[in-house]
Amino acid sequence: MASLQSRLDEFKKAFESGAPPYNAEHEAIEKMHRATAELKASGTEQQALKIGDRAPSFTLFNQDHVQVSSSDLLRQGPLVISFFRGHW
Amino acid sequence: MKLEALQGINSEVRALGAQVVVLTPELERYTRALHKKLNLTFDMLTDLHLKTAEQFRLVFTLPDYLRDLYKPFGNAPDRFHDEPECRLPIPARYVVDKQGIIRAADVNADYTIHPEPSETLKQLRMLTGSLAALNLRA
Repeated sequence: MASLQSRLDEFKKAFESGAPPYNAEHEAIEKMHRATAELKASGTEQQALKIGDRAPSFTLFNQDHVQVSSSDLLRQGPLVISFFRGHW
Repeated sequence: MKLEALQGINSEVRALGAQVVVLTPELERYTRALHKKLNLTFDMLTDLHLKTAEQFRLVFTLPDYLRDLYKPFGNAPDRFHDEPECRLPIPARYVVDKQGIIRAADVNADYTIHPEPSETLKQLRMLTGSLAALNLRA
């Protein structure tokens, strides 16, 4: 399978071409680029927790409304935590 | 695409004795639907109102001019996250060791750039390998 980044790049290229099925407007694409550039410049990336920091613990509901706690998970082994903004 | 990529390595992650969790501000009814649709075998956790993302210092506010862009989709952050202020997490992937210390961090404000899942596997292998070495010495 192609790498994740090459598939993301392919999607980006198709989206930004303005062609169907996305039919993205040039103006909208410009806005997205501007927002990403501003967020890059804002320094938010640099403020995020880094290697060597202690990960904050959490207890949250999963998709089946079961409470899951990070300390329970860590007792079993290392943890990969991925932050996902949403499906939309 | 990103969730599918994580799903693609999940059995190897489990074989290494580790686990994957995805944290999203999306409400449970949406995580449930997505979890089912993609046949995920790791948990999707609802980080309601970004309380945990805040602690990882990953939260930003979507600028006004982008909110207008997403309005045709029904103001997505508000509808899917109960987040009228349109705050979101910066995409990030962390590897945390058993002691709770962050051992790998990929944070990128450009959401079109993502670390390869194979990199995460490599980091986990190093981590579990070094743990095994420590156990041998003990």
